[in-house]
Amino acid sequence: MKIVFTPDWFLSFDVLIEIFSFLVLIAFFMFALRSYKLNQNKKALFLGIGFFLIAFAEIFTIFTKLVLYYDTIFTKEVGQMIVTYHFVNSVDIFYYLGFFFHKLLTLSGLYLIYKIPSKKGTTGDFILAGFFIIISAIFSSSVYFVFHIIAMIILFFIVMNYVNIYKKTKFENTKTLIGAFAILLVSQIVFLFSSIKLVYAIGQILQLVSYIIMLILIYHITKHGKKKKSHADSL
Amino acid sequence: MERKRSHTQIVSDMLGIIQERRGKIKPTHLMYKANLSHVQMKKYLEEMRKKGLAVKKNAMIEITDKGREFISKYLQVKEFEETFGL
Repeated sequence: MKIVFTPDWFLSFDVLIEIFSFLVLIAFFMFALRSYKLNQNKKALFLGIGFFLIAFAEIFTIFTKLVLYYDTIFTKEVGQMIVTYHFVNSVDIFYYLGFFFHKLLTLSGLYLIYKIPSKKGTTGDFILAGFFIIISAIFSSSVYFVFHIIAMIILFFIVMNYVNIYKKTKFENTKTLIGAFAILLVSQIVFLFSSIKLVYAIGQILQLVSYIIMLILIYHITKHGKKKKSHADSL
Repeated sequence: MERKRSHTQIVSDMLGIIQERRGKIKPTHLMYKANLSHVQMKKYLEEMRKKGLAVKKNAMIEITDKGREFISKYLQVKEFEETFGL
């Protein structure tokens, strides 16, 4: 059974992309936490927890992949059939556990982000709850694309939420946010075909683009505060 | 109808008004500009003084570096909240 779909030439880049994603997600978490501290805004706190869960999921992937890549090299160096088999087995268990937590935390985080601006008892809630029950039932079967399908659905609802918010507020940053989440959504569609190695790399690159857009958004938010401050200073 | 200002919003508004006036303002001017009663004004000024956001010097209220930093952080947070529709 295939453990990773990463092409050989992409082995270190995917971990670097995940480290980058982690840092961007933590930055959003810090903003949300600051918002909660300043305004006691509970919605911001839950949003922050959502981002934190996804960041934590990235940590699981990073460590799992690092161990997996390292062990694979090590077993090659040993070059003995029995020892190699033993190592691959231990790596398999480690990988599946790491990937399980990655899935669980990512989906929980995305669900929290989706849930915050929405009202209680919507059709979306019902559909999502149903999907969560299904995923928990088939988690153990290791069907890689189930995770991507569910992530895709939640991301679709997240994008729709922010489209509705943008329609009301016409706030430019929200448009950027929609763009970032939409690319993340496309990356999940691409990942559905990640058994083709090149497609997996394309999915990762799309994810990188999405997080770069989020980083630009962080820059805009930070710059805005400073710009207003300096404008006030000049008065 | 406009929403009632939060506590943090009032503090931020007051600091913003002081900053717009080159960093210092007369207490009465601040009271009118911030749309506060005398009692409210006293309460908020005392809090700002305790937190080191503003100080009273020669019958004027002056914003401190910490106060300027507070406004900057507050504006960033507002921008963040608006982005996510919070």
